[in-house]
Amino acid sequence: MTSLAAGWRTQRRVISALMVRELVTRFGRENIGFLWIMAEPLLFAGLVGIVWRFMKGPEDNGVGVFAFIASGYIPLTMFRNAVGRSVRVFSVNGSLMYHRQIKILDFMVVRFLIEMIGAMMAYVFIAALLMSFGEFPVPADLGPFFLGWLLYCLFSFSLCLVLAPLSEMSDVLEKFIPVTIYISIPFSGTFSMLSWFAPEAQKWMYYSPFVHAMEMMRYGIFGSRVNATWDVSVPIAASIVLLLIGLVLCRRIRRQLVVE
Amino acid sequence: MIVCEQLHKSYPMGHGLKKVLNGLNLRINPGEHVGFLGRNGSGKTTLIKLIGGVELPTSGKIRRHMSISWPLGFGGGFQGSLTGYDNARFIARIYGHDYRDIRDFVEDFTELGGQLKMPVKTYSSGMRARLAFALSLAIEFDCYLIDEIIMVGDQNFHKKCHVELFEKRGDRALIFASHSAELVREFCDSAVVLDDGLAHVYEDVNEALDVYVAL
Repeated sequence: MTSLAAGWRTQRRVISALMVRELVTRFGRENIGFLWIMAEPLLFAGLVGIVWRFMKGPEDNGVGVFAFIASGYIPLTMFRNAVGRSVRVFSVNGSLMYHRQIKILDFMVVRFLIEMIGAMMAYVFIAALLMSFGEFPVPADLGPFFLGWLLYCLFSFSLCLVLAPLSEMSDVLEKFIPVTIYISIPFSGTFSMLSWFAPEAQKWMYYSPFVHAMEMMRYGIFGSRVNATWDVSVPIAASIVLLLIGLVLCRRIRRQLVVE
Repeated sequence: MIVCEQLHKSYPMGHGLKKVLNGLNLRINPGEHVGFLGRNGSGKTTLIKLIGGVELPTSGKIRRHMSISWPLGFGGGFQGSLTGYDNARFIARIYGHDYRDIRDFVEDFTELGGQLKMPVKTYSSGMRARLAFALSLAIEFDCYLIDEIIMVGDQNFHKKCHVELFEKRGDRALIFASHSAELVREFCDSAVVLDDGLAHVYEDVNEALDVYVAL
C-alpha cells in the first residue's frame, strides 16, 4: 500500500513537472505565454464563422451560425492539435528517457492535457464573447455537454495513443496522418447534425464516435432547438479498443526506442 | 548491487541487425568503482544506457538494488532550449527535491554564474559536464554512471569531482567508461573490457588496460 502511495506521488510530481516544462518550452515566458494556445481556435472559429455567416445568413437549421461553427471547430482544433503533438512524440522527447521515473505515457498524457485545457479555455472565452453580442445561447443543459466533451477527449486521446507509435514505426504512415484527418472532417459532426443527413447516410455516420460526442455537446448548448440523437456506447467502445491497441504499441516502441 | 543477466542488445542496421551486446553478464557491488574499457563501438555507451534504463535490452534482465544516476554523458538528460536553472528546477521536481537546495549546490559547484540563465544548448561540453555533475551530485545516488564526459572538464573541475565524488561520497559505486588509461587508473579499482558483446572482468586495472591496448 505504501509503495502504491509512493508511486502515485511520483506520478503526480512527474506529470506536474512535465506540464511546466512543456508550457515553458512551447510558449516561453514572454508576453501572453500559455494564452497563445487559445489563439488558433479563436481565429478559426471567428473567421470561419464570419464566412459562413455571409454565405448562409445568421441562422442555419434554426441555430445561430456563429455559435454552431464555434461549437464544432473548437473540439476539432483540439483533436487536430493533439494528433499533431503526438506525431513522433517519442523521438522528440527522447532526452526525458534519461530519468527512469518518467514513462512514455506520462508525456503523452501531458501533451494531451495541455491541448484539452487550452481548448476548454478557448471555448469559455468564445462563448462569453459571442454571448455578449447575442450570438451564443445560454447553454440548455451542461450535463450532456460536459459528458460529450469528455467522450470527445477520451476518443481523441485513444486515437493519439495509436497514431503516436505508428508515426514512429513508419514514415509513410506519418505522412498520411494529416490528410486522413482532413478527409475525416465531414464524418466528425463538426459542421452538421446527424439529423441533417439522409437516413441512408445517417446509418453510416452512426459508426463515427465523434458524431455521438458532438451531438451531446450540441444538445447541451442548443437544447431542443436541435434534433440530437446519440449513443454513448459507440465512442466508449471505440475508445477502449483503441486504448488497448495503443498501449500494446507504445510498449513495443519503448522497447525499440533508440535514445541519443 | 546491479546485476546484468544475459543481456542482448541489437539495433536495426539496413535490413539486418547489428548485435552490440551478446549475452553479457555483469555484477556491480555497492561502493565499487568500475572502469569500462573497449574500442569505439564495443558497446560501452550502450551498456551504460541499459544500466541507466534509458534504453531497454532486446532480451535479458537488469536488476537494480541501488539508486542509479542517469548516464552523465555528451548527449541527453537535458532540454537544450531550457536554461540551466529551468533544467535544475525540472530535475528537482521529478526527483522530489527542494529546488532551492539544488540551486545553491549547482551555483556553487558549476561556477557558471549568469550562464545558468542561458539555454543549455549554448553551453560548451565542459559547461554541460559541470551542470550534469552538479545536478546528479545534488540529488545523491548510490551509483553514478559516467560516460567519458569527465575528460572534457578542466583541472579545477577534476579537483572538484575528486573532492565531491571520491572524498565526500567515497562509499558510492561508480561506473566510468573511458579511453583514458590515466583516468581509469586514477578513479577505478577494477575494470571491465568489452569485446565481442561480452564483458571480461579484471580485478587488476593495469591488467585490464594491457588487454585493452592489445585489442
